[in-house]
Amino acid sequence: MDDLIAARATMGFSLGFHIIFAAIGMTMPFFMSAAHYLYLKHKDPIYLDLTKMWMKGVAILFAVGAVSGTVLSFELGLLWPGFMKHAGPIIGMPFSWEGTAFFLEAIAIGLFLYGWKRMKPWTHWGTGLVVGVSGFVSGIFVVAANGWMNAPSGFDWVNGMAQNIQPVRAMFNRAWLHESIHMQLAAFQAVGFAVGGIHALLYLRGRSPEVNLKALKIAMTFGAAAAIAQPFAGHFAGQSVAELQPAKLAAMEGLFKTQRHAPLHIGGIPDVETQTMKWSFELPGALSFMAFNDFDAEVKGLDQVPREDWAPVAVVHVAFQVMVGIGSAMALIGVLYFWFLRRDRFPHWFLRLLVVFVPTGMIAIEAGWIVTEVGRQPWIVYQLVRTKDAVTPVPGMVYHFHLFLILYLGLAVATVWLMKRQIQAVQREEGA
Amino acid sequence: MIELLIGFIGASLLLYVLLGGSDYGAGILELLPAGRHREAQTKVINEAMGPVWEANHMWLILIVVILFMGFPGIFTTLMVALHLPMLGLLVGVVVRGTTFTFRHYDPIQTGPSQRVYTWLFGLSSLWTAIWLGIIAASLNRGIIDPAARDFWTAYMAPWWGVYPLAVGLFVGCIFVFLASIYLVAETENVILKKRFARYAAIFNCLVILTGGLVFAASMTERKSLVTAFLEKPLTLVAMGIATLLFVALWIFIKKNRPVLTRIVAAGQVTLILIGWCLLYAPNAVITATRPLSFYNESAPPATLQQLTIALAIGSVFIFPSLIFLLRVFKTKSSKRVSLLTEHPIPIEDPE
Repeated sequence: MDDLIAARATMGFSLGFHIIFAAIGMTMPFFMSAAHYLYLKHKDPIYLDLTKMWMKGVAILFAVGAVSGTVLSFELGLLWPGFMKHAGPIIGMPFSWEGTAFFLEAIAIGLFLYGWKRMKPWTHWGTGLVVGVSGFVSGIFVVAANGWMNAPSGFDWVNGMAQNIQPVRAMFNRAWLHESIHMQLAAFQAVGFAVGGIHALLYLRGRSPEVNLKALKIAMTFGAAAAIAQPFAGHFAGQSVAELQPAKLAAMEGLFKTQRHAPLHIGGIPDVETQTMKWSFELPGALSFMAFNDFDAEVKGLDQVPREDWAPVAVVHVAFQVMVGIGSAMALIGVLYFWFLRRDRFPHWFLRLLVVFVPTGMIAIEAGWIVTEVGRQPWIVYQLVRTKDAVTPVPGMVYHFHLFLILYLGLAVATVWLMKRQIQAVQREEGA
Repeated sequence: MIELLIGFIGASLLLYVLLGGSDYGAGILELLPAGRHREAQTKVINEAMGPVWEANHMWLILIVVILFMGFPGIFTTLMVALHLPMLGLLVGVVVRGTTFTFRHYDPIQTGPSQRVYTWLFGLSSLWTAIWLGIIAASLNRGIIDPAARDFWTAYMAPWWGVYPLAVGLFVGCIFVFLASIYLVAETENVILKKRFARYAAIFNCLVILTGGLVFAASMTERKSLVTAFLEKPLTLVAMGIATLLFVALWIFIKKNRPVLTRIVAAGQVTLILIGWCLLYAPNAVITATRPLSFYNESAPPATLQQLTIALAIGSVFIFPSLIFLLRVFKTKSSKRVSLLTEHPIPIEDPE
């Protein structure tokens, strides 16, 4: 593994690890606050149990998110000094706002976790809500910084140096809006389904059905609503990518030749050697329509991009298919969920389906970030700075990679083990 | 503008040492044998640190963000030359951040898992504190060489040596000293109070001892601390007052005045930090070829302006929230009731 690949693998792995906990940290406090609200409103102790149960989960997962986020703030410099040298002054602004929002979140979580008997009930409830809101806002800021890497703006590029820097324009770059809507919905969708599915499993096993059903309803209402909205957000994101990064769209769709009436490939594996798509199902003209609202619009293919500037086409296309496939299925389940909710009866097959969908939202998030990040290669700042020019000169990055691989795998195992212990303990308490 | 930003970095560093530092110290304390007081001691530490744990940690992130946005040259130089100590720091941050929380939220509060958490938390706290000291010491040794390409000169020499290690130990002792002083007032248990006061005394001596070690080790450096201090008399005044304050500290401890004790201890550490910063101001880093000052290495004015605005607006939200946090948890009137452990801490030792 050469140093560049090792650095990319480290960054990818660290981000992929963090995003799971970041998604949970941004959304689960809202579930918790909803349960807490219902308790304060109706004084039903089941909602209090639920709030405390979720609170412990939030506390554990927040801690993992906080430390893995700290690692990332350092790794920007440890792995990509050539990027930070240019980018720091330009996109530091969303990071400084993110820092502020995260600081508030850190204060609020201390207040909420430990403040049960020290504040008025509604004040205490408010601190829980602040955890969610500030987490949610900090997520938007970080995604805005990523948006800038895809659609750099707010500066002039003169002789390989950024000049005339305008941080506000850089923050509100042309990719920030579609990326953050897409991501924030994805977080609600993934975490809503994951939490809902776990409670569906516990319900099916006959463990304290009343709590688990109420929990499922809160989580899935958030998750299903986001899942139904997501295809629209995804469509908006796709159209923006078509305009801003045609090379990425071409890789996502496996479109080698520029063409009018471009087909949408469903499934399939692109073969870069022969520049053809294998084993895919084609919908003629659909890609033109999806990208530009016109069945005859011209969609730029990879032939418009110099060969050395292609992203790894197969990886991007497959990741995109995985994301879209999962997202479509989840949207459908979202509709079914509201249908059954209205009838106030969930058939067992549907609950079992929810259990199957516990990990899918997270898989889709990972796949989506692979599309964004791998799809931008070989650029770290789109069409300005190449990833290979930004990497650290420090040799032996492969050891850095292995160190974090082992550390994070250990942490992942410990986290899952502890969450299982938590759930078992809660079940035991209720059994007793 | 730059002065304001330097002020923010300085304030964040100070608050990280005073607040976050005591969290490290408490972790290191837990490595020491505690016998039958182990459980009670852990409980006091959990309750004292739990609510402020995440917030205390934020100051470090704030420093990182201000550096990479406002002073990218300094940030990237450090992240390249001090890559290895930074990695050491990060591994420690991950381990202690998770073990502290996991210990508290593990439903099984006794047995081997708790011992493993405590042990890992303590060890990683010590480990991370030492790396923090090593990084701090490496900034101004004049060894960092951005042009160097061979592994030793570029990535090892900047932080290798007795002096950085001595600073690491010094920092660790300061952290435990702060933690002990803070913890005395966090419990009503007389035996524990005495234990924490004894730790404060021991680590007070160790601070002086390792401080001497730092000075001695600096004799092998390109520029010894003695020379550096003599060049800037103001720093000598700061260090002198810090040392003299030990007398006041012991009077307040003997008279059992916890608030004053805390103020004096925090004041001492503040003076030490100010003295150390003044020693090199306005330089952040001194490389083999030239000093990197905050003035020369700053981002363009538009960036600095936005950064200052963000920090100013952020402060309007953060400081009142922090004060609220401290009022809720650190005032005497608030009842000490833990959610997860309903048993009150025994006021008197059972034996």
